[in-house]
Amino acid sequence: MIKIEKRNDVPMALYFFTPFIAIVLTILGGGIIFYILGFNPIEALKFYFITPISNLYGFSELLLKATPLCLIAIGLSFCFKSNNWNIGAEGQLTFGAIVGGGVALLFYNQEGFYILPLVILAGAIGGMIFALIPAVLKTYFNTNEILVSLMLVYVSKLLLDYLVVGPWSNPEGFNFPETRQFSESSRMPLLFEGLRIHAGIFLALAAVMLSWFILYKTYLGFQIKVSGLSLKTAKYAGFKGKTMILVVFMISGACAGLAGVGEITGPIGQLHRMISPDYGFTAIIVAFLGRLNPFGIIFASLVVALTYLGAETAQIFLQIPKYTGQVFQGMILFFLLASDYLLFFKVKILSLKKNELRH
Amino acid sequence: MATDLRISNISKIYPGCIANDNVSLQFKSGKIYALLGENGAGKSTLVKILSGVISPDNGEVFLNEKNLKLSSPLDAKKNKIGMVFQHFNLFDTLSVFENLNIDATEDNKSLRLRINEILKKYNFSIDLDVPVLNLSAGQKQKVEIIRCLLRSPKVLIMDEPTSVLTEQETEELFISLKKFCDEGILIIYITHKLKEVLSLCDEVAVMRKGKVVSVSQTQNEKVETLANKMVGQKLAKIRKKINISKNKDEIFKVKHLNFYSDDPFETNLVNLNFSVKKGECLGIAGISGNGQNELFQILSGEIITPNTSIIFRNKEIAKLNPKQRREYLMAFSPEDRISQAAVPELKIYENVALNNFKSSNFFEKGLVNERKIKEHSKKILSDFSVNTDNVELKSQFLSGGNLQKLILGRELITAPELLICYNPTWGLDVGAINYIHETLIKINDQEKSTILISTDTEELLKLSDRIAVIYKGKLSKIMPSEEVTPEKLGVLMGGGSID
Repeated sequence: MIKIEKRNDVPMALYFFTPFIAIVLTILGGGIIFYILGFNPIEALKFYFITPISNLYGFSELLLKATPLCLIAIGLSFCFKSNNWNIGAEGQLTFGAIVGGGVALLFYNQEGFYILPLVILAGAIGGMIFALIPAVLKTYFNTNEILVSLMLVYVSKLLLDYLVVGPWSNPEGFNFPETRQFSESSRMPLLFEGLRIHAGIFLALAAVMLSWFILYKTYLGFQIKVSGLSLKTAKYAGFKGKTMILVVFMISGACAGLAGVGEITGPIGQLHRMISPDYGFTAIIVAFLGRLNPFGIIFASLVVALTYLGAETAQIFLQIPKYTGQVFQGMILFFLLASDYLLFFKVKILSLKKNELRH
Repeated sequence: MATDLRISNISKIYPGCIANDNVSLQFKSGKIYALLGENGAGKSTLVKILSGVISPDNGEVFLNEKNLKLSSPLDAKKNKIGMVFQHFNLFDTLSVFENLNIDATEDNKSLRLRINEILKKYNFSIDLDVPVLNLSAGQKQKVEIIRCLLRSPKVLIMDEPTSVLTEQETEELFISLKKFCDEGILIIYITHKLKEVLSLCDEVAVMRKGKVVSVSQTQNEKVETLANKMVGQKLAKIRKKINISKNKDEIFKVKHLNFYSDDPFETNLVNLNFSVKKGECLGIAGISGNGQNELFQILSGEIITPNTSIIFRNKEIAKLNPKQRREYLMAFSPEDRISQAAVPELKIYENVALNNFKSSNFFEKGLVNERKIKEHSKKILSDFSVNTDNVELKSQFLSGGNLQKLILGRELITAPELLICYNPTWGLDVGAINYIHETLIKINDQEKSTILISTDTEELLKLSDRIAVIYKGKLSKIMPSEEVTPEKLGVLMGGGSID
């Protein structure tokens, strides 16, 4: 007979250690999969996790991919900590990119120091507005934010599709589904010559610091913490529940919008259909792997970014589809949830003998 | 064949609470048995043991002298013990027939035939092909009953079956139950409603704090005798000095408090009017589940009801949330101290910060002033003799009594003019109870007022200046507590009337 019991006291140190266990298990699991597919697992894992970051360019690419993941996950941590399940960051990213990109296109043939800040601001506001839709529907009409935020992802993606093939498509672009190139003044400044890593990383780092301050040092952070642990208590304490829902969604949407605008003004430089390889969804894994802790999220975003890079390298060297990256991301989440379960519950196997004695 | 069910020395211990303490009972078919007790008396635990949902730490169950091993609900089914739970176990989107078909062993045609027979025999009118979500609560219950009848049960256990039924549906249910009984099914009826016991059952076992305190024939019982057995009949020995004076100001006044809920498990409140004077303790008695939860939440501002007027210190506060009410010097101590009044995962000082009143300066300009909160928490811990001085301790490591002291301390350190508390000593040991009672008396001595909502009659008689009884969401007239006896309270709590 198997009995599952809640553990009374879970040590905090272990709570922050289990993500590492999950990562190790993911690597082992990956090795097994590669072995089954007929590859030498050690070799394959080396292509996956070592080769991509063995030179400066690779390291810059890692930071480049980690930047949007980190930004989005930071925003999501506000929602998740307060029991609001915003899973539509991908949509907020896309809408932020549309609004920011729209502003950049307005200035496509102009230069000026004020243009980039305007574009960034527009992106953040775009994401914020888009995140307000599920928030307002939840607070005033009792809808489920999971469904609404998820469905809005497809709305924004279709809107982007329509814009890049229709009204915003490049008049000189031979009907390719893309807009004009943004002007130099709308582009994120590059940090190093020849590398793609850009100033957007400072936005992500600023978001980390700011979110740490808000979550741990302000009344808003305290309210978020209490609401996440017990909605009953939040109600009893008289927190303004509706306002808080709106605020956390706005923060989350703004971060996703910033991530979107960072992509299009950074490595991409225009709007087209494929501005994000599902960063908005993957960031959910990043947020949980980082334990919703701002500094944990930095670490988690680097790990998950590596799965994107590894998948690309593996595609080139091993001729396996780059979607294996998603397999690894899925495994991370699976092993994290599994180790959490074992962390919070203990499984007791009662021997039959003992059982018989009792009767 | 006659059925004989015997429970022998059943015990079940949960951490910190003895749910069943050596319970022995005997039931014979042909009678309807009531198992009566307050919430938390141990009825549900016993029933779950009988239906195989949980297994006892000790003791045995015999059906017709056969020792039953009930280690899963399946075992109960096999042994022909049927159970209708308070919360229905039906799939809302499936049709009635599909729901009944889920665990059936026969083919659709013969199952439908048998269901139709049952429908006809007991005069149930239910369309088998509509989705369950279109049914009323009474009809859903009938579906559950049919599910049991399909297995031709020897024992049928009904857990608080009328809590979601209308008067009409309740009557219909009673008629069916009597019919089942005549056919030789042994019926065990779990409830805390005294009138139902008297009108339906033949024999009644009363449980209190995990023990069976009495078994008797219902014809020898009255509402008040049962009520006293249920809540305990000990007379209050210490009684506070009655603090009633006609010319004192009314500090708190409630008018036209009405509450209507769509949730069948909540109680509607019907036109409550009352007031509290300065330095007075108003006690509100009642068996739990008669609207106390809803009343507390409305008084604290967690639920805002329209058209209600609540005047506190000459200001209308009916539209204010709990935080705003605290600014006007109200304080609240809810029944659920473990997961509502405090958060177990939070540290003591963080739990103290939940009562963030303006002059506390816990959060200046939106920033956490940790030093101030900790200083304040230390003062609460020492002033209210909580047995720790470590404000960094998570509150889950405090015992019930110490947690309640912390909560009361947090609420009282603001020197509120009115404290509203709901079952403040629920589940505490005698030492902690005495401490909390003394504290509550001290508040009144300092000319501050209290509203004490409690299911503990002894506590109410000891602490209140005036007492009213809440029954099915309605408030009795308010009586000076020197005119109140436990017997009178018993009658009112059971829904009777006194002159």
